[in-house]
Amino acid sequence: MTGFVDRARRIPSWQVTLAGALLVLGFLIVAQAGAGPARVQYTTQERPPLVETATELQNQQDALKAQILDLRAQIEQLEATSSGNSALVTSLNDQLQQARIAAGLVDLQGPGVVVQLEDSTQQVPPGAAPGDYLVSSSDILAVVDELWLDGAEAIAVNGERITVTSALTDIGSSILLNGAYLQPPYQIVAIGPKDLYSRLTSSANFARFVQARVEAFGIRLGAGSLDKAVVPAYAGGVALTYAHPVAASPAPTQTTATAAP
Amino acid sequence: MKSGMRSRRAQVSIGFVALLLGFLSIVQLRAQAGGTGLANLSAQDLTTLIANLNQRNAQLSSEVSTLQAQARQLQAARTLGVSAIGGLQNDLQGIRLWAGLDPVQGRGVAVDCSGPMTASDANDLLNELRLAGAEALAIGQVRVVAGTVVAGPAGGLSVENVPLGASFRVSAIGNPVNLTAALTRIGGIVSRLQVTSPGVQLVVTPENSLTLPATDRSLVPADAQPRL
Repeated sequence: MTGFVDRARRIPSWQVTLAGALLVLGFLIVAQAGAGPARVQYTTQERPPLVETATELQNQQDALKAQILDLRAQIEQLEATSSGNSALVTSLNDQLQQARIAAGLVDLQGPGVVVQLEDSTQQVPPGAAPGDYLVSSSDILAVVDELWLDGAEAIAVNGERITVTSALTDIGSSILLNGAYLQPPYQIVAIGPKDLYSRLTSSANFARFVQARVEAFGIRLGAGSLDKAVVPAYAGGVALTYAHPVAASPAPTQTTATAAP
Repeated sequence: MKSGMRSRRAQVSIGFVALLLGFLSIVQLRAQAGGTGLANLSAQDLTTLIANLNQRNAQLSSEVSTLQAQARQLQAARTLGVSAIGGLQNDLQGIRLWAGLDPVQGRGVAVDCSGPMTASDANDLLNELRLAGAEALAIGQVRVVAGTVVAGPAGGLSVENVPLGASFRVSAIGNPVNLTAALTRIGGIVSRLQVTSPGVQLVVTPENSLTLPATDRSLVPADAQPRL
C-alpha cells in the first residue's frame, strides 16, 4: 500500500502533465473523427467545387458591376460634351442628371443612419426552428420599408442600392439582393432627414420588430446616426423588355426633340 | 546532468503535444463554426445560389454590351462631328421609364387583393413580383417606385397616403407566364398567405395590355447630395 503511494509520488510531474495533454488530445481526435462522417456523404464530395464555382461567379459579378459603373461614367462624360444645339444639349444633360439621381444611378451622401443586423448567438432550444434565429430577407425588408416610411431618400444594404426593381430573397441561410449574395453582417445605410434615427427608433413598426426578433430570438441589432452616410450607385441593368412608353402621352422632351435638326 | 537531459526531453515532448493540441483545437473549432458565408450553405442551397448568380451575371453582361454600344455611338457621333441629341433623348427616356418618372404600358399580370391583408403581406407581394422580373408596378393608380411602401393596419392600408379600401389591384408589367408562375407556385405568396393570413384572397390574371401612371412622388432628394 505505502509502496504504491511512494511509487506514485516518484512519478515526475512532467509525465503527469503529458498524460493529461494526451488525454485531451485523444478526446479531440475522436471528436474530430466523429464530426466528419455525420454529414451526408455528397456534401464532402460536392461542396468544395460548388463553393469554388459560387465564389468565381461572385468575382465575375463584381467585375461586371465595376465595368457597368465605368461605362456609365464614360457615357456621362461623352453626353456632357456632345455636339449639337448647345442649349438643348445642356438641358438634356440636366434632365439626364436628375433622372439618374431619381433612378439611383448616382452615389449619394448626406445625413443618415446605419442599422446592423446579425444572426442570434443564442442556443436553439430543442424543437425550435433554427431559421428563426437567423437574419432573413423579411427582417431586412421590414427595416428598409420602415426607413422609407420615415423619410429616407436613398438606401443600400451591404453596398447594394435599393432601386425600383430591387428584390430580396432567401437561399437557405443566405440572402440575395439585386441578385447579389450578401455576406453577413447586414448593414443597412440610409440617407434622410437629420432626425431619421429618432423617427426610426420611435416608430411602432420598429418597436414591433425589436420585440418579435431581438427580444424573442436574440437577433443582434445595432443602430446609429451618421453625419455623413454614403449610399453607392446601383450597378445593374435598367433595360426594359415588356414595359414601353405610352404612345398617347409624349414625354416632355419629345416636343423639343422634333424641333432639333 | 541526467536530470537536465530528462527535463529537456520532457519539454520537447510537452511542446510537441501542445502544438498538436492547438492545431486540432483550431481544426475542431473551425469545423463546428463552419466559417462564415458560403461554407455554411448546403449543397442544395449552393446549387440554387449558383443558378441565381449565373442568371444575374447574364443580365449584367447584357447591360455591359448595351452600354458599350451606346458609348461607341456617342464616340462615333463625336468623331463624325454630328449631333448626338437623339442618343441623349433615348437614354433619358429609358432611365425615366425604368425609374417610374413616365407612364408605361405593356403585358403583365393583375393581382386582385381582398380580405384582411396586412401591410407586410402587401409589401411581400411587391417584393415577390420584383423577384419574378416585374419591370413596373402600380397599386391602384399609384406607381410603385423605390421608396413606395404600403402602410397602415389590416383593413386600413394606404400607399403614398392614398387609402386602398377593402380590395385593391396590383398591376405588374413583365412576362405574364413567369409572374403568374412565381406567385401561384407551391410555397409562393398565394399559398403562403392562405396559411398565414386566412381570409386574404389573391386572384392573379394575365393581362395583354396594362397602363401604369408615372409616380407623383418627387424623386429629387432634399437631404442627399451627389457624391463627387
